[in-house]
Formats: sequence, structure tokens, C-alpha cells
Amino acid sequence: MKTITLISFSIIFFSGCVQDVKPWEKEILAKKTMEDSSGNPLGKQFEEHIYFSKEASKGGGGVAGGGCGCN
Amino acid sequence: MQLKISLAVATLLSTMALNAEDYVTVQYLQYNENNNRTDVSAPSIMINKDFGTDYTLNAGFVVDVVSGASQNYYDKNYDGTSGASSDASSGASAFARALDVKASDVEYGNTNYEDKRVAINLLLTKRLENRDEIIVGINQSNESDFYSTELSTQYMHWLDSSKNQSISVGASYQFNKILTYCNDVGADGCSGASEAMDATAFNAEVSFSQNIDTTSDVNIALFFSNDDGYLDNPYLNVIRNYKSDGNADVVGEKRPDSKMAYGFAFKYAKALNDNFTLHLGYRYYRDDWSIDSHTLDGDILYEFGDDWIFKVGLREYIQTEANFFSGYKNHFTDEKYASSDQRLSAFNAMTYKSNIDYQLNDTLNINFGINYYTQSTGLDALYFITGFTYGF
Repeated sequence: MKTITLISFSIIFFSGCVQDVKPWEKEILAKKTMEDSSGNPLGKQFEEHIYFSKEASKGGGGVAGGGCGCN
Repeated sequence: MQLKISLAVATLLSTMALNAEDYVTVQYLQYNENNNRTDVSAPSIMINKDFGTDYTLNAGFVVDVVSGASQNYYDKNYDGTSGASSDASSGASAFARALDVKASDVEYGNTNYEDKRVAINLLLTKRLENRDEIIVGINQSNESDFYSTELSTQYMHWLDSSKNQSISVGASYQFNKILTYCNDVGADGCSGASEAMDATAFNAEVSFSQNIDTTSDVNIALFFSNDDGYLDNPYLNVIRNYKSDGNADVVGEKRPDSKMAYGFAFKYAKALNDNFTLHLGYRYYRDDWSIDSHTLDGDILYEFGDDWIFKVGLREYIQTEANFFSGYKNHFTDEKYASSDQRLSAFNAMTYKSNIDYQLNDTLNINFGINYYTQSTGLDALYFITGFTYGF
């Protein structure tokens, strides 16, 4: 319930203060410098794997991670 | 009218170019910790291939070669003739368990190990008529003492006609098999028996993405995970029954057989001008082992000309300790759960990140990144990631 509330709140909040970006205005948004992995998904996976094996937390980066015996 | 048509054509062409995401990337990780602790060499490859406009297949393969030493309590007189020291195909020698060991024989230090992990993952994306996406995936990861299979699925739904807002719901389920040795502590501290233990991990995530304007976007994710089964580290020991004469038992650690965690993550990206892009992130995590953590992440990217991208970044991490953690010799007696694993302790960590990315020509890109990770536990690591990406 809290999840639905927070997501709903986020949608309403951002709907109120955002611009309706048209498809032809998305050149900058589509640049690889805007990507979370900066165009290197494998590099990002390496980093996440290091943090997962050295720290006690996980989550927030997508559901598909794969397992390892590095706890 | 003519301008509109030109704009539309230009937009279509640029969109087609941007959607041409067929590539193969080869990356290599070299990771080295201080004090001759863990070293990792990991070559990897990933292929991303579109099939028409509705399907994309992504396949990855990685080999981790790990060697070094982990910090552990052990009986320095353990002769290694029984139990896993000689059994473990991973070569781990972290056992050295015994009962009623003299205080002078209980040591805390490095125990050697080496291992190799081979992992493969496949992700298939299907785009529907309204361009919503369904992603299904499978991961398989094998080590000498650990086998993991993971199935995952995700659905992404566009919330508006301009495709500026989307919501994603995803879940994964992991089946893990762990080979343990010395599972039963006998009079000699180690029975030598081996046993396959099971563990599962369920992960779920709901995320919301929004283009704020033509230069910035944001993503908010809520996540939940539930781990069940054998969650101990089979190689780590604790000290129990510390007596006034200094004698103590060196036995395997014991963790609860379930862990439930939840949290949220926030990511923001902003192109500050033609050259600079800012990435900010925050994650909050909490679990029922009493671990709370906060992660702050920030990167600045600088585009130099058309071919160079320089990145520097900082990541700060802080966590509280698990309620069954203690690093002291004289802490545990008959507590049900006990661990001295530093990863379950209270600590903070900082990562200093840098990367250079160079577009050699229309199809080939090379990258080199060097990063320094330091924990308040005394762990320091230097690692670099280098490789190339070929678009086709």
C-alpha cells in the first residue's frame, strides 16, 4: 500500500512540475552521458558486484543481478 | 511546413541512429586489495542485438578468478588433516576450527583461498504495439562451492503519449546451492563432512522514471528482497565460550536463515550545458538483521570535443551493524546467531572514481577507468576497468 502511495505521489508530483518533452527534443536525454551506466553496462555491473560482495546492502539497481557465493 | 517535414525527417533519422544499439563490449576488471587480501581478474563480454524493432537480446558472460586471503579467527595449530582444509575444492583454508583452544593459539588474520566463478546471463526484451516492454532473463553462476540460477522478469509501461513517464515492475527469484564443509563440529572441531545447502532470494522492484525537461531526468525505485535458507558464510569462524583461563572454542559462524530487506533509490541526471553532465544518486536500505545503510553517489562527466568523455565521481556508503555481529573474542557464548564477518559490522566506505572514454571511430569506443575503494574497517582496494565497445 505504501509503495502504491509513494509511486502515485511521485507521479502526481512530477506531473505538476515537468515539461512535456517532445520526441524531437530528446537528443540530449538520449546521449550516453545521460545513461546511468554512462554507456558501459558491463563496467556498471562490475562496480555493483564489488559493492555487493564487500557491503551488506543490495537493491535499487534492477531485479536481475545473478548470484555469487561472495557473502 | 517544409521546416516541419525536415524536422520530422531529422528526428526520425536521429531516433533510428540512437536505436541502433547492436554492439559487443569486452571489458576487463582487475581488482586488488591491500595486505595481500582479495585479488580478482575478471574478463567479460556482452552482446546486445536487436531483432527488428520489437525484440532485443542481451547476452553476457564473465569469468571471475579470485585469489587471496580473508580475515578470520582460526586455531593456529590446526593441522588441516581433517575437514575442509583438505576437502574444499575451492582451496579455502579458513576452517581451522577446534574446541577449547588456548588463547595464545587463537589468531585473527588472513586465511588463503582461491576460486573461479563463471557466469552467463541472457535478457530478452519484447516491445509491444504501444512500445511497453516485457523483459525476461536468466542468470547462471557457477563456482566450485556455489551454484546459482536466477529467473527474472520486468514490465515497463509508458504512462504518457510523449513517452516521458514510465513505470516498471520487476521481480526475480534465485535458487542457490552452497557446498559446505565441517558442517558439524565434533570433538576435533570439524567433522569433515560435506553437505549441499540451499538458499533462495526473491527480489522485487517498482520504479518510476520521468523526463523532467529536455536536459534532465529522474528515477525513483522501491525495492524489497527476501533471502531464505542457508545464509552463513561456510568459511568464517567465531570465538565462543571464552573462559577465564583464556581457552575458547573456534567454531563456524551462524546467521539467521532468513533476511527481509527493503528500501528506496533515487537517481537524477542533468546535462548542465553542452559539455558537463551531472549524476546524483541516493539509496536507503534496511533489513531485519538491523542493518541500515545510506549510499550517496555523484558523478560529473565532461565531453571534450566529439570523441572524449572524462568522468570523475564519489560514492559514500555507511551502514550499521547486524544485531548478531561482534568482532571481539570474548563476546559470544550460547547466542544462537554469531558472526565476526566485517561486512556485517558498522562501517563507512568511500569510492573515488575516474574514467576516460574515447570514440576511436564510428563503431569503436575504448574506455579505461581507475577507482579506489576504502572502508573504515581497514580494507582498501584499487581496481581498474578497461575494454572496448564495437557497434555494428
